[in-house]
Amino acid sequence: MADTNLETKWIGDGADLEKIKSDLLTLNMGPQHPATHGVLRVEIQTDSEIVATARPHLGYLHRCMEKHSENLEFRQVIPYVDRMDYLAAMNMEHGYCLTVEKMLDVEIPRRAEYIRVMVAELQRVASHLMFFGVYAIDLGAFSPFLYAFQDREQILRIFEELSGARLLYNYIWIGGVWNDMTDDHLRRIGALVDDIEEKMKKYHALVGENHIFVGRTSNVGIMDKDYCYQYGGTGAVLRGAGVDWDLRKKRPYSIYEEFDFDVPVGEGTKGTLGDAWDRYWVRVREINESIKIIRQCLEGIEEGPIMGKVKKILKLPEGEVYMRTECPRGELGYHLISDGGKTPYRLKVKSSCFTHTSMLPEVAEGQMIADFVATIGSIDIVLGEVDR
Amino acid sequence: MHSEWVSKINAAVSGANAEHVAAGEFGDDTVFVAPEKILDVCKFLYSAEGLEFNVLQVITGCDYQDRIEVSYILASFINNLELILKVKLPKASKDATPEIESVCSVWKAANFQERECYDMVGVIFKNHPDLRRLLCPQDWEGWPLRKDYQVQKEYAGMEVYPAHKINTADIYFGEKLKSSAADPKKFSYSWKKPEFYPEGAQPTTETTTEGE
Repeated sequence: MADTNLETKWIGDGADLEKIKSDLLTLNMGPQHPATHGVLRVEIQTDSEIVATARPHLGYLHRCMEKHSENLEFRQVIPYVDRMDYLAAMNMEHGYCLTVEKMLDVEIPRRAEYIRVMVAELQRVASHLMFFGVYAIDLGAFSPFLYAFQDREQILRIFEELSGARLLYNYIWIGGVWNDMTDDHLRRIGALVDDIEEKMKKYHALVGENHIFVGRTSNVGIMDKDYCYQYGGTGAVLRGAGVDWDLRKKRPYSIYEEFDFDVPVGEGTKGTLGDAWDRYWVRVREINESIKIIRQCLEGIEEGPIMGKVKKILKLPEGEVYMRTECPRGELGYHLISDGGKTPYRLKVKSSCFTHTSMLPEVAEGQMIADFVATIGSIDIVLGEVDR
Repeated sequence: MHSEWVSKINAAVSGANAEHVAAGEFGDDTVFVAPEKILDVCKFLYSAEGLEFNVLQVITGCDYQDRIEVSYILASFINNLELILKVKLPKASKDATPEIESVCSVWKAANFQERECYDMVGVIFKNHPDLRRLLCPQDWEGWPLRKDYQVQKEYAGMEVYPAHKINTADIYFGEKLKSSAADPKKFSYSWKKPEFYPEGAQPTTETTTEGE
């Protein structure tokens, strides 16, 4: 949304605007630009430092994942969905497996459900830590990135031992999970969440309350409730606008209804409701909520099998299904159409990053270029998921 | 629930011909409406009391032999509802691009979703503010997510799908394993035999293992 008082905001009252206005200059931000979090290209027209229009160009990371999956058996799609949001691969797998399981008569063992929720929440913590570090870099602070990476490393190490991979796991399988957690893993997860919870307090005091950080993010990139609804914004963007909407609470999937946790929403603490600082603050508090869930998992986890009974050659009945899950970046939906065969007839991924990218042009109008960078960073997009 | 919505739609929009398709044992129910009334139906669903589908999640197309089915997945964040709304667009010929009214005026989210749908399955959205390809380059040919799609041979002076990049070794390794398995019917492997081989990628007798 354009700031209607832009002129008075940046140029001052009484200035002769016609004299100050210059010709529009077209600039390409990206695709290789450190602030665009991957290969997003935004074609911006600027009036000196002010963005007049912004047009995102997508497709630089388009890997035809939806087309590929039409030729793959249901299990073989899992490594492909990993590669969409490579910073939250566990959540991508979880959503996909739940979609297929919705079409199958399969009971997931309790232990597998607990492990799934635990890895999904650990991944959420890792993803938000990544956001925390990268956003600070976007705004010119380098060291928080290193702090965040140190802590994220602990989580990745657990994942590496579980699945053998550090980013793209192929760990959650249809019917359960691939590998069991040992007691040692559980003990270490307990220790690392304590560690991260303690450190996040320090980090937030260091970054979130920092005067420069607040100055760069408060009142910047305001996305209010109606704007989010119009564009379909979800996740931290919607919660940052003060809407109490979390699929884990509203449409519980897996075993989320058994856990006790809160949904942090933005309150406009440092500026306007729905600004970049609110989105940052929602994510930081979500780390604590995820840690709460992980602790409850560690207490409640049961002994037992980790894989349900699924047929070796998997055929889904004819029909279609739409399943939404709450991912670190927003709602992820899979729309699966099956014709009764061994492969999906059509698999469409509703990606939250894609939706959030479409929100950029309107919010960019009238922003300073540096604020636009802060806005892109605050919606936390991963281009692998935008382009699929 | 769906049948109730269907009767509401039919009562509010004349000629919508809404039809409830119940799911089988598993899966989700869908609602089909007449394509020429899609904008009216969407406007109604957006504001109807008790429904208020205020968020558009997805617009996507699925290609069948004779038609393209466009799905509009709507969600209500006010009443916590979800609906798969579908229309059937008949295809006159193989390469025909069926047309449908854009719903950008109802949800702004439709802008990018419709562009992607246009790009991938070749559905033209009338009155769309900016209908360009989104994920593919502007001068790309064909509609990639149609079932009969064949990739163009050359793009911007570059060979698409060049022969040396086709992993024939994997394909024939899979076939070799299959032929040597005790029960070939129960054996599956991930590499599909391509329907056509570009020049230079023809399998040679050395790589095939038939009769071994």
